[in-house]
Amino acid sequence: MSVTVDEIKAGKAVSPGWVAQLPLSGKLGLGLVIFWIATAIAGPWLAPYDPGAFTHQDVFASFGAAHWLGSDYLGRDVLSRVLSGARYSVGLAAAAAIAASCTGTGLALIAALAPRWLDELLSRFIDTLISIPSKIFALVLVAAVGSSLLLLFLIAAFIYIPGAYRIARSQAVNLAQMDYVQVARTRGEKAAYIAIREILPNMLHPMLADFGLRFVFIVLMLSGLSFLGLGVQPPDADLGSLVRENISGLGEAAPAILVPALAIATLTVGVNLLIDALPRRHGSKEG
Amino acid sequence: MGLSRRTLLTAGMAASALPLLPAWSQAAAAPRTGGRIRVAGMSSSTADTTDPAKGALSTDYIRHHMLYSGLTEYGADLRPRLALAEAMESSDQISWRVKLRDGVRFHDGKRLNAEDVVFSLTRHLDPAGGSKVRPIASQFAEIRATGPLDLTITLTGPNVDLPAMLAQSHFLIIAAGAKDFSRPNGTGPYRIKSFVPGVSTIVTRNEDFWKPGKPYLDEIELIGIPDEVSRVNALLSGDVQMVIAVNPRSIHRIRESGAHEMLETPSGLYTNLIMRVDGGITGNPDFMLGMKYLFDRELVKRALFRGSAIIANDHPIPPFHPFFRADLPQRSFDLDRARYHFAKAGLGPARLPVYASTAAEGSVDMGSALQEYGARAGLNLAINRMPADGYWSTHWMKHPLSFGNTNPRATADLVFSQFYKSTAAWNETGWKNERFDRLLLEARATANEPLRAQIYGEMQEIVSNHCGTAIPVFINLSDGYDKRLKGLYPVPVGGFMGYAFAEHVWWEG
Amino acid sequence: MAASPTSSESGNAFLLLLLAKRVASGLLTLFLVSLVVFIISGLLPGDAAQEMLGQSATPEAVAALRQQMGLDQPAALRFLRWLAGLLGGDPGFSMVANMPVADIIASRLPNSLILAALSTLVAVPLALTIGITSAMRQGGRLDRALNTTTLAMVALPEFLIATIAVLFFAVELRWLPSIALVPAQGSFLDLLRALAMPILSLSIIVVAQMARMTRAAIIAQLGLPYVEMARLKGVSPARLVLVHVLPNAIAPIVNAMALSLSYLLGGAVIVETIFNYPGLASLMVNAVTSRDMPLLQACAMIFCCAYLSLVLIADTVAILANPRLRNR
Repeated sequence: MSVTVDEIKAGKAVSPGWVAQLPLSGKLGLGLVIFWIATAIAGPWLAPYDPGAFTHQDVFASFGAAHWLGSDYLGRDVLSRVLSGARYSVGLAAAAAIAASCTGTGLALIAALAPRWLDELLSRFIDTLISIPSKIFALVLVAAVGSSLLLLFLIAAFIYIPGAYRIARSQAVNLAQMDYVQVARTRGEKAAYIAIREILPNMLHPMLADFGLRFVFIVLMLSGLSFLGLGVQPPDADLGSLVRENISGLGEAAPAILVPALAIATLTVGVNLLIDALPRRHGSKEG
Repeated sequence: MGLSRRTLLTAGMAASALPLLPAWSQAAAAPRTGGRIRVAGMSSSTADTTDPAKGALSTDYIRHHMLYSGLTEYGADLRPRLALAEAMESSDQISWRVKLRDGVRFHDGKRLNAEDVVFSLTRHLDPAGGSKVRPIASQFAEIRATGPLDLTITLTGPNVDLPAMLAQSHFLIIAAGAKDFSRPNGTGPYRIKSFVPGVSTIVTRNEDFWKPGKPYLDEIELIGIPDEVSRVNALLSGDVQMVIAVNPRSIHRIRESGAHEMLETPSGLYTNLIMRVDGGITGNPDFMLGMKYLFDRELVKRALFRGSAIIANDHPIPPFHPFFRADLPQRSFDLDRARYHFAKAGLGPARLPVYASTAAEGSVDMGSALQEYGARAGLNLAINRMPADGYWSTHWMKHPLSFGNTNPRATADLVFSQFYKSTAAWNETGWKNERFDRLLLEARATANEPLRAQIYGEMQEIVSNHCGTAIPVFINLSDGYDKRLKGLYPVPVGGFMGYAFAEHVWWEG
Repeated sequence: MAASPTSSESGNAFLLLLLAKRVASGLLTLFLVSLVVFIISGLLPGDAAQEMLGQSATPEAVAALRQQMGLDQPAALRFLRWLAGLLGGDPGFSMVANMPVADIIASRLPNSLILAALSTLVAVPLALTIGITSAMRQGGRLDRALNTTTLAMVALPEFLIATIAVLFFAVELRWLPSIALVPAQGSFLDLLRALAMPILSLSIIVVAQMARMTRAAIIAQLGLPYVEMARLKGVSPARLVLVHVLPNAIAPIVNAMALSLSYLLGGAVIVETIFNYPGLASLMVNAVTSRDMPLLQACAMIFCCAYLSLVLIADTVAILANPRLRNR
């Protein structure tokens, strides 16, 4: 079974050519992800106007020379607002999704290998958190503790840990029964070694797929929070909030709502396309 | 002299007592009877109530006006008219004699008498009753029945506006001893058919309504759609026939549809920036003035409300009000003056947090505008957008800078005494102006209209120049309705004809 | 290596034991939930009396109303009383609505259950079909098309999808009502018509996650030696996936499904808001806003029960399909 481990090492080591090996959808995803990361970093400097400035006489203006992407519901520049809003959706959501997935996976590995009582305790506690509807939970937490960026990050991560945990635990428990794990146990390997070397690599792909969705959910939860009147503090706004605040422009198909919606779509689809295309250990036939 | 000191409100006084309908509505064909409509208010929750005293939100007021009648009611001109009262008079504005209309019946068949009115008004004084208007009702010194249809209301001090005050939905009349509001029993135009809090209220025509010929509709279903976009879509898709509180950004969609029309009501509704006198720099008179100059009222009117608002002058009396003072200079956006006053107030670079919320309409965007312009005038504002949930109890008036929102009040006295009198529970800014307080009491005791206009005029000037309230605009109330719904006209105390549309409208479909 | 048949006797005994253990740990979870709700709601600003009075909350009015509502008692005491009542089968009385909590719930719960059930009927078969198909055609054109579609479906905020649906089907075409008014008396078809758009919106949200998990879990198995072996033996691809692979991949799939389906009850808050549907999720938001603690607790209990049942079903299915999990 150590062959499996070697395979992973081999798979990960082929970094120079891995981009070229990506299928077209993967390259597209990678391109979108790079684009959005670049936008998140450089966006505020590229914005032609102050995102909070009332620069247009008209609201919901369409595409134009002075305002490439038109104006929003208050006559602010849409391009500037999208450029400076991207970092909240990209940064905040990615950070929270990473935190949630890592914590969830870590706890799941502990649960899968730890004594039964610890597994039971963890699982009950996670069940408790998960059974409270996430949006309502977020609403209550934001109302109770506030919504600074750090708190939003913590709340989003906290809310999505249980979901990641459940998915990861079911994987880990399943894998822990596999013959090669049992072999490793009888070999006398330490629990940490088994978790990291034998189990984790084999659950990596499902967890990455889950991470992609979790990222989407957090981006959307931020927009959901803005639907309920919470979220990032004005005049800043994450992409979801931009969609929400301009929703009355939907009837006239204003760029103010189409552009942020498109931005969310390309960002989330990009992340997931890339993850789907990442080389995995079994190396599917099609490559 | 003796005559002018005497306030008389009787059915005989045609000028103020007859409903003042706009010409077009009189020209229209005679009202048609029958039909069923569904209308959407802006809220619905398990806290919905059929108890007028506990009415908290516009949907409650609408429901209450369907089921109950009051001693008086509002007309389009903001003046009170008689309703269940046949006469209401006082010579000293303290002791009011009320004579009730004869032959009015409750939905259960019981005849209206003075005891019902005494019960309905007195119960507001009970601290455990949860009445929303207890502070106003505290003016009642004694309410006593003097005959089957006669009663006397004695106030703690003179108040010429008592008839207007009693037209609020909270003072609608219920049957004496009523406690169980699951089967509401009123004298209103409609009877309850079903009431599920948070879902819907269905009422049917009260055939025995005391206004002859009214109401016209067979049945009305009142629901709440909190989300504005959904509310407008429900109107446009024909699922409801009238919606309250349309966002100005949706108005053109409604008009464009061809089948719908807007009822726009200029009103005294405003969202204001509150600068607390005890908040440090916010109590500085120059800081207050600077903030008032920082408001780009034209921008607020144009961008936030798409023109569906009236420019205000930092006091709560709207231009269409009988006591509005027209010769007070209008304050306008002036960055230089703002900068000058901020410098004079010794404003530093420290960040000043201002609390806003969707609970106070438009406040978040007003805050964004102030932040934007403030940066150019040396003011460093940080906006804290708070959840609507809990905003009134935890943030409103509780910080040096916060936004408030005040619904239209029928009289100058009500808005001044509830929000600007130094001892008022909602004295938002915490200011104390003795001259203002004295004028308020003087106006209440004055029946002479020109004299009252003069007093209220001076009070507007005092608030505008010395009170830490910045009122940029008055927001129009916008209702959307199906064109087949007839008989609507604006009543400036609230949307849906001052919440009392139910008895006036008919359906031509 | 595929699921081998075990003696059904020991299987049943095992399941009964599992059930008993789950009921016990479920009760513990319910208690923990009520405790968490109690603690977090204690952090919320204001209380029911203040929220009820809103802008008109003067200190003395609040004090009087608090006393009337019993809010002057210590919070812990109220919690314990509520807990004792619950153990006796009484979820308490809502002072805000002036109604027994059980009555309020009774009027809302069926709505939520109907919506969730109908959405499940649409979403689960759809998700399984999509997931299995794209796993079998992994990397192929169909896989990529399905993949992109499911991604695009979750890529937009649900309020946007719902609003677009309303604009199109209700405002423009006038085929469907824009608000989900439950007909008091009416045929099943009326109900379907009223709920069509909420079902559509909810299904779109949950299908993606379920389909993607299904795909990922099956693909994870496809590379394992036993699949290779079966393939060499000449087992047809459809049979290979449905009979050999699916049972081994079932644990993560049903777990993802349990999670997604529990979302249909508690996560429906935005869909309920947009379609003005009187369900439990908006009731719970309501309870938060009005600080109606007994009602809030009752909603939390129901969501927790629903979740626990779904998880129990998921685990049972997983164990039935893959006996090796019984060791754990």
